[in-house]
Amino acid sequence: MSAPVLEACGIGAAYGTRRRPVTALHPADFALHAGESVAVIGRSGAGKSTLAEIVLGLRAASTGHVLVHGERFCGAGRTPHAARRHLVQGVPQDAGASLPPRVPVRASIERALARLGVPGDPSARIRAAADTASLDPALLERTPRRLSGGQAQRAAIARAVAVGPDVVVADEPTSALDAATSAGLADALLSLPARTGGALLLVTHDDALAARCDRVLTVRDGVVEQTR
Amino acid sequence: MRSSGRRALASRILAGLGLLTVVGALPWLSQRDPALSVLRARYSELEPTPEAIASVRAELGLEGGPFAISARWWSGVLRGDLGDSWVSGTPVGPGAAQAVGVSATLTLLAVLVCLLVAAALVAPVLRAVARDQPVRGSGPAGVAMTALPEFLLASGFLVLFAVFLRWFPPYGWTGLETAILPAVALGIPAGGLFGRLLGDALAGASRESWVDVWRLAGARRRVIVPAVVRRAAASVVDQMGLIVIGLLGGAVAVEQIFAIPGLGRYLLGAANAQDLPALQAGVLAMAGAAVVIGVVAGAARLWLLGGPLPAGSVAAPPERPHGDRLAQWTFGTGCALLVLVLVAGLPRDPYAIVHGRLEAPSWLLPFGADASGRDLLARVAHGALGTLVPALVIVVAAIAIGLVLAFIPNAVRGPIEVANATPPVIAGVVIAALFGPTMGGAAAAVLWVSWPPLASHAVALVEEAKAMPHVKWLPLAGVRPFEVMTRHVVPVVAPALARHGMLRLPGIALALASLGFLGLGAQPPAPEWGRLLAEGIDYVERAPWATAAPAATLVLVSVIAVAAASLQGSQLPRPPRDGREKPEVQPADGVSA
Ligand SMILES: Nc1ncnc2c1ncn2[C@@H]1O[C@H](COP(=O)(O)OP(=O)(O)O)[C@@H](O)[C@H]1O
Ligand SMILES: [Mg+2]
Repeated sequence: MSAPVLEACGIGAAYGTRRRPVTALHPADFALHAGESVAVIGRSGAGKSTLAEIVLGLRAASTGHVLVHGERFCGAGRTPHAARRHLVQGVPQDAGASLPPRVPVRASIERALARLGVPGDPSARIRAAADTASLDPALLERTPRRLSGGQAQRAAIARAVAVGPDVVVADEPTSALDAATSAGLADALLSLPARTGGALLLVTHDDALAARCDRVLTVRDGVVEQTR
Repeated sequence: MRSSGRRALASRILAGLGLLTVVGALPWLSQRDPALSVLRARYSELEPTPEAIASVRAELGLEGGPFAISARWWSGVLRGDLGDSWVSGTPVGPGAAQAVGVSATLTLLAVLVCLLVAAALVAPVLRAVARDQPVRGSGPAGVAMTALPEFLLASGFLVLFAVFLRWFPPYGWTGLETAILPAVALGIPAGGLFGRLLGDALAGASRESWVDVWRLAGARRRVIVPAVVRRAAASVVDQMGLIVIGLLGGAVAVEQIFAIPGLGRYLLGAANAQDLPALQAGVLAMAGAAVVIGVVAGAARLWLLGGPLPAGSVAAPPERPHGDRLAQWTFGTGCALLVLVLVAGLPRDPYAIVHGRLEAPSWLLPFGADASGRDLLARVAHGALGTLVPALVIVVAAIAIGLVLAFIPNAVRGPIEVANATPPVIAGVVIAALFGPTMGGAAAAVLWVSWPPLASHAVALVEEAKAMPHVKWLPLAGVRPFEVMTRHVVPVVAPALARHGMLRLPGIALALASLGFLGLGAQPPAPEWGRLLAEGIDYVERAPWATAAPAATLVLVSVIAVAAASLQGSQLPRPPRDGREKPEVQPADGVSA
């Protein structure tokens, strides 16, 4: 097998005070390879979002570090370097939470491309990303507040994909949607590894969705283990 | 998270140690040579030769630097020796202990009044929660009660109930009948504030989604109402502690007005006589009381929440729907009246003694004359500049400090707690005792106590804003932390802070006036509202207008600022209310279990 795109080396998380730290995530090791989709399942409160936020570099790990292409991406007390932010992108649970609520979707994505220093023609990238996310291009001109939940999630996927990441982390992206919408969205997400050649880390509590992924990690009370 | 916890702890320890050192070294900090004043006071027959002064210095224990003096004083305190008065030469301990006893009784009575007032204010909110009706925050009654500071209320009560109606004795401390007016004057503003905070917290808690879930699950009123109350109480218990500590400060003015021999009057006497050992004893007693109250509040919060919660995890009260016709009308009318007073009074001379003593109001002398025969209209108008301009400067400075410090929340936690727990009058008393009473000293004292509420509000707002999902995920779009703060957090937080600052403007102006009233601020003959009121109240029976003019202006300013605050609330953009932008809020463990 080829070298992994992303490697988590003993990443753990704690919150609370120094004297009484509470462990949210016990040190976990796993790897993601190009073109594969990996599900993270577990009960609510198990530590799935904590795991996702550490991999995304949104939350500081208390132990361990994350390697992307063999190089340190983020770790205990270190946030990702700005030049490497584009490598790992995410889709949040809250519809539209990754997009500023009062800015049209296209403007948000353009700004993100400029900030992350993504080369190439922005409008072509955005068009391709909207296509990948099955987002009606007309909706790009709206602000997230004027999108439905499913549309906002597709916009969030488009924003993540437009940057050209090697890893996409989605945290329960379908849990706030109705069955039909969520099925369409799941198709769009699960097609990402094939279409972009990257890896997908899909946090979900939907076993059927997890079954469609290549591998499954289970989080139980902050302990991560591969179950398939 | 770990190193930030360590920083917060270090900040607290440093602030505490700093405070202990400063209290011990107060005599050293004093600008004048205490040995000289003691020499004059005690041995008037002695020439102030260098030898005589040196021997007095040694006698007072004033040799060595601030740390030596502080260490000596603290070791004395640990042995139960608070030192001797510079004025009388006798130990200060017994007098201070007596004053503490009186103040403790008064404070307990005031807390009782406070709780009654708060209960009356909160009752309608609770009824709405119980009946599942739309819950709004506290109403205008609470605002009205907090508008007037203790010294104004106490003066009003004294004039109305003791001087004119003669229902209660005007001063002294001889039984329950002498305690009622002071306790009510102290308890009403505190109860108004507490009732408002609790009402808003109740409204906030009742809107959390778990309440709807419980309702849908068929939970009864008997279950829901206590749970909502507990959750709301947990979020205001710290503030309740601060309110009680604030009572200790308000008691200075009230004790002075009603001539009650409590701790506040003791401190004021020590400041006026620049008797620093007595001042130290009084400050130590105040600080001890504050610590006790803080510990009680902390224990109450632990009990209510069932464990420590990370900051920001308790729901912020919802913003009350503001801004109606009434507020606009009140604001406009109030400003027009104030401008009228300024326009009519500023061209007149506030210092010229050209009228009869206590001359009654007339066309030419609309507000009458004061006890020296000076034009009261001119004095009130010039007093506006002397009070409001420093107050505005203080508000702006406090907001600026708060916003800057909000970005290093853990480092400032200790100073915030120390300063937060200092009532303005106490800071004013200490500064006046050290440097003599001046307007600048009063302004510094008021700033010292005004920045912490704004700073801790800023810290809480910033944490809350950072936890909003679309802010939390901003780094993924390449937004740097600095930009997250300046472009996404500060704009969300600034309107609320400005509103908060405006809400505090009357309090700050009135705190300044209260220091002036106690003789700790601007000095005669400078016209300043607090002083004007103090000068007038002695003649209230013969010439009520000498009291009415400054009192009416102070009330007017309170009304204007309250109306301005509610107007501002309606005009500034507010974050939208839809669910996806609110930070995730989970009920506290103790409630959801
Ligand atoms: N900063 C924090 N403060 C308080 N609790 C936290 C914090 N971070 C994580 N937790 C707790 O850790 C556990 C795991 O949270 P999370 O990762 O969001 O779970 P999941 O996404 O699996 O539902 C939860 O019990 C949560 O309450
Ligand atoms: Mg989660």
